[in-house]
Amino acid sequence: MTVLSIPAEVLAVFHHFRTAEFSTIAKDGTPIAWPVTPLYQEDSGTFITATSIGLPNKAFNIRRNPRVALLFSEPKASGLPAAPAVLVQGQAQVDDTITTLAGLEALWEKIYRFQPPGSQISSSPLSRYLMDWYYMRLRIVTVPQRIAWWPNGDFSHPPQVVANVG
Amino acid sequence: MWADLVKRLARYPSAVLTGLDGAGYPFSLRCVPEPDSARQVLRLALPDYANLQAGPASLLCHDHDDQLWNQTNVVVRGALEQAEGAWLFRPAQLLEGAGAGMSMLRQLRDGRRAAGRYLAKRGLARPRIPWDQLKAIMARARKS
Repeated sequence: MTVLSIPAEVLAVFHHFRTAEFSTIAKDGTPIAWPVTPLYQEDSGTFITATSIGLPNKAFNIRRNPRVALLFSEPKASGLPAAPAVLVQGQAQVDDTITTLAGLEALWEKIYRFQPPGSQISSSPLSRYLMDWYYMRLRIVTVPQRIAWWPNGDFSHPPQVVANVG
Repeated sequence: MWADLVKRLARYPSAVLTGLDGAGYPFSLRCVPEPDSARQVLRLALPDYANLQAGPASLLCHDHDDQLWNQTNVVVRGALEQAEGAWLFRPAQLLEGAGAGMSMLRQLRDGRRAAGRYLAKRGLARPRIPWDQLKAIMARARKS
């Protein structure tokens, strides 16, 4: 894999933005984005996310068409007031096996760090019963092909780009 | 659907438009859709460089608080069109995402049912959740 030359301000976005808008292509060809919290792995240059089997459409979409995108455009709570917006386009793979933890330890730690009230989900036997499906996950790995960023999140000008990344 | 859509979009300062680029990849950017109630379309000011293709597209609006809690989101499926040099988004379906109150209860129910279907279709047993290990990760996250 090509070693990326990603600017520090873009890496900061990957690590500190609370959410990204993750797009997959539905069966009818419609690209649909939902907010996720992805984990960027600097050693491999890939993004890890996961979808619950209670919300499996992202996984079904990727199995039909691996083209995906992650847009980082919501800086709220990131501590990066003048951050760029960043678009990552790439190819994703989704695991066949369901995991409840293995391979997602660092992702869960990041989510819990960003989302302290998330501990409520497992705080009582009732909430564990109602929400166990939330932890039954299909792991998704996205390999970037192209990374574009807009300084100060200003979409009116063409972005700066790193292409043929993966 | 139109009146409901306009009301929901008005709760957010901007939306994420996702269409397909010339290579067939999703391409997303922030924009401010302007409702044209006479034609029941949303007018979009999109930059020329975007290389977005007319055709299937969607809009996402979402929000959360500083603790990534109280999340709300809504997705609109539809199509991008070009007319008289301008971009239009023609909505077709509203997909309700996270929200408070009944919406949250409905999501809990639907998620549980969908997970049950996923497992049943594949003949899989319901996985046990390692609550203690997750609790340890939560504790680690609180300290970091």
